[in-house]
Amino acid sequence: MRFWRRRLHALRHGAEIDRDLDEEMRLHIELATEALQQSGALTRDEARRRALVAFGGVERYKEEHRDARRTRWIEELRQDARYATRSLIRSPAFSLSAVLVLALGIGAGTTIFGAVHAVLLTRLPYPHDERLVAISLEDSPTNRWHLSTVDFRAIEAQQHSLSSVGAMEVRHATVAVPGTDPSLEQLGFVTSGVFRALEVRPIHGRVIEAADEVVGAPRVAVVGERWALRTFGGAAGGSTQVIGQTIMIDATPHTVVGVLPTGQSQLANLHGDIWPVLQLRSPDRRGPFVLIGVGRLREDVTLDAAARDLAAISERIYPQWASSFQDRAARVAPIPLREVMLGDASRTLGLLAAAVALVLLVAVANVASLMLVRAIGRWREIVVRTMLGGTRARIARMLVTESVILAGAGAAAGLAVAALGLKALVALGPYLPRLADARLDGAMAAFAVGTALLVGGIVGASPVALLLRRDASAMGGHGSRLTGAGRRARTLRGAFVATQFALTLPLLAAAGLMLNSFVRLLRVEPGFDPRHLLVVHVALPSARYANDSAVAAYWARALPRVRQTSGVLSAGLNEVVPPREPDIDLNNFDLLDRPVPPGGAQPVSPWVASTADYFTTLGVPLVDGRLFTPADSAAAPPVVVVSHAWAMRYYPDGRAVGRRFIEGGCITCPPVTVVGVVGDVKVQGLNEAGDVIYAPVTQGWPRWLNVFVRTAGAPTEVMGRVEAALRSVDAGVPLDNAGPMEDRAYASVVQPRHWTTLLGGFAVVALGLAAVGIFGMLSYTVSTRRREIGVRMALGARGQSVVGMLVWDGMGYALAGVAVGLGVALSGTRWLADTLFSVRATDPPTLAAVTLILMAAALGACWLAARRAAAIDPVTALRLD
Amino acid sequence: MTQRAELLQGTLDLLILKTLALGALHGWGISKRLQQLSNEVLEVGQGSLYPALYRLEDKGWIAADWRLTPTGRRAKFYTLSAAGRKQLATERSQWRLFSLAVEQVLTA
Repeated sequence: MRFWRRRLHALRHGAEIDRDLDEEMRLHIELATEALQQSGALTRDEARRRALVAFGGVERYKEEHRDARRTRWIEELRQDARYATRSLIRSPAFSLSAVLVLALGIGAGTTIFGAVHAVLLTRLPYPHDERLVAISLEDSPTNRWHLSTVDFRAIEAQQHSLSSVGAMEVRHATVAVPGTDPSLEQLGFVTSGVFRALEVRPIHGRVIEAADEVVGAPRVAVVGERWALRTFGGAAGGSTQVIGQTIMIDATPHTVVGVLPTGQSQLANLHGDIWPVLQLRSPDRRGPFVLIGVGRLREDVTLDAAARDLAAISERIYPQWASSFQDRAARVAPIPLREVMLGDASRTLGLLAAAVALVLLVAVANVASLMLVRAIGRWREIVVRTMLGGTRARIARMLVTESVILAGAGAAAGLAVAALGLKALVALGPYLPRLADARLDGAMAAFAVGTALLVGGIVGASPVALLLRRDASAMGGHGSRLTGAGRRARTLRGAFVATQFALTLPLLAAAGLMLNSFVRLLRVEPGFDPRHLLVVHVALPSARYANDSAVAAYWARALPRVRQTSGVLSAGLNEVVPPREPDIDLNNFDLLDRPVPPGGAQPVSPWVASTADYFTTLGVPLVDGRLFTPADSAAAPPVVVVSHAWAMRYYPDGRAVGRRFIEGGCITCPPVTVVGVVGDVKVQGLNEAGDVIYAPVTQGWPRWLNVFVRTAGAPTEVMGRVEAALRSVDAGVPLDNAGPMEDRAYASVVQPRHWTTLLGGFAVVALGLAAVGIFGMLSYTVSTRRREIGVRMALGARGQSVVGMLVWDGMGYALAGVAVGLGVALSGTRWLADTLFSVRATDPPTLAAVTLILMAAALGACWLAARRAAAIDPVTALRLD
Repeated sequence: MTQRAELLQGTLDLLILKTLALGALHGWGISKRLQQLSNEVLEVGQGSLYPALYRLEDKGWIAADWRLTPTGRRAKFYTLSAAGRKQLATERSQWRLFSLAVEQVLTA
């Protein structure tokens, strides 16, 4: 502290300190003179001379005094900065373009850093988040599913490795507060253990407690502060007033007992406003598997130890429930909560970071070559400085200061770019958890400044390395720039240009592969015609539609009304919305003619409830057998219709109709018969296989169904009337997600579209920079070789051949860069393999195409630059210099 | 002419602290007292006193303020601080140890 205070004082009051020192020294010499005069009877002049000699050089000690203040370097830095700023302002074109290029590079880098920081580096908002685990079942590291009540109860009773454990069930439910329309929301029903494990404290009231979990206890819920304020008014105390209020959840009253602080309302990755209590009934079979376990490891227990503890529990409970569950390999397993919450985010960000790093490096190489040209232009100035006694270190510092100032300006502008970039990334980029929380903050500013210093150092180092060679001063007298250092400069610039091309090619390759994959994805047949097709999601509240007959009764009234609505051609029901349903049910099955041995993993397939007119409405053809009929009732033997892809996978001979299987491991249930095969409709995404098993709604009514309506005109015109028809049956049923199917088809390819746009944007920026880089280099070559070109022309060379010579000169560097870049691309694009659809990561046509694009850009830039050489008038050129 | 000795590197600080232990002095006063105390043996480049004084002040061992001399002239007077007094004691014992060791080597 003291050190810096003194430095600061010395820096601020340098002149004052100098004055004081002058006075002190003057007094010293006066007193010494007087003393000498008295003792030796000397003249005053002689005494003064001897006093000065004894003192030993006033100026020398003043300098030493200044050194002792240790502020010299700061003063010189200030001088350097002032000088560098002045000289940068004198060449605005250079400075502006350099700052712009750096702003793009640093801005892009800072944006991605901001995303990485928000998504990967920020801790979860719970104390000691590293000890939090999610608990699920797995039979291999890639096949995981949720827990059942049986598993959760066993974990609660038998585990030794967790300090607390809770369960959460995430499902849709209708929510109504007095005075508002019911709405369908995704809610997390939780046990008290979830709050204990996460160590979440309410800001008002209490959280859910163990007594609330008992079946039959009054139902309670805790809510988020933001929701409380929004629903019960933003006035002060709004969030306390909510306590004691009643919320109807699936038509069951729940009393609000507590309010969670904003920011912690995201319990274990589920953004939610309302957290009702989860009351688990005693199980009568092993399934269903709908619970997410949340636990906190004890301080002395490692993840591995916990995994062994929990796996032992699975072994013990397996025999008790073997009649309803035969996957002996299934284990209860803890997974770090961070890993669950972040999912693929680190891979996504890794790809983004790699792309951005390439752009930043291209920008650096670009500016470095600009700096080099500038330094060569200032050759004489530097030589003069050396001759006037400027040390190499001092001149080097001057050059580096200049580039650091450029980079600093680039960082400042880059931060502005990053602020916009973050917004664009949230809006346009691939989905990343917690990205919406990313803000331009100190960490991002620090990153930008750090990058700027680094870039400034690198960019400034190249002219320094070039100019401060031993022979630098020997070049002073000559006007020619093409000898010695000049030739080295050209090689160095060529290397920079080649580097830019080498870095741009992988980016172009990645963008090209994504584009190729995206186009192929768009060409995939979704299996239906989305035009003139409308979908409405209908969620019947469980309280009023408790059983199949209630649900069947609703639809028996609702479907005819929808069909009678004007503009409706036909209507059908289905549980999922093609071409991509995120919450799809997968069910395991065991073919009777090809049983899986006991303990083995059975095949699984999407399992979807539907009506026969769903297929006719969507225009899905019946390939074999029959569709559902009214005879397929709950009392009749269970039947299903399968998709063509399913049929071909298990019965390639095409004879799937009539086959039977055991569904869901229920060996006591009657086997299910395949009665028909229909055309493929994608339900898990266009890039996935088309396997689907359709079960008739009449043999098990889901409470949530989608009404599909084929309309005569535009679906949006009919939408209001269809909704009104549904409301006329029961106004208390929330309708949700109504809209044309064309929008869904578009939405299903949003992620690949984002990727393609993003990588394409980066590639275009890099391509532009590389083209500008080679253009700049060649333009400079033309201007320095005017004389030589003039001589050639005077000796009869035609403009064409001169241009050709220069173009090939530039293309040499571009080709070298492209060759290296191809190598990089071939080894690097396999990172993309998982993201690509039906395109290999080394797809030769794509790589050839991007290579051609890059070469064409290089050729164009070279030609534009070299063209000027043809216009050189030999007479003027030779008179110059 | 008396024989003169060059100052050993680093001993100037110790000597300045010692002269100031006897009371506040200005620059010329310090250099005069050094000569007197060493019987004119020690040669101190008088100018080198000033950077040294700044360093000592920087370290907080001495403090400086402007006062009037008995003859009525304005001068910067240096005084020893508490930290300086402690430093003097340390440096003195270190010096004794050092000179004793050198003496032993030379007489061996």
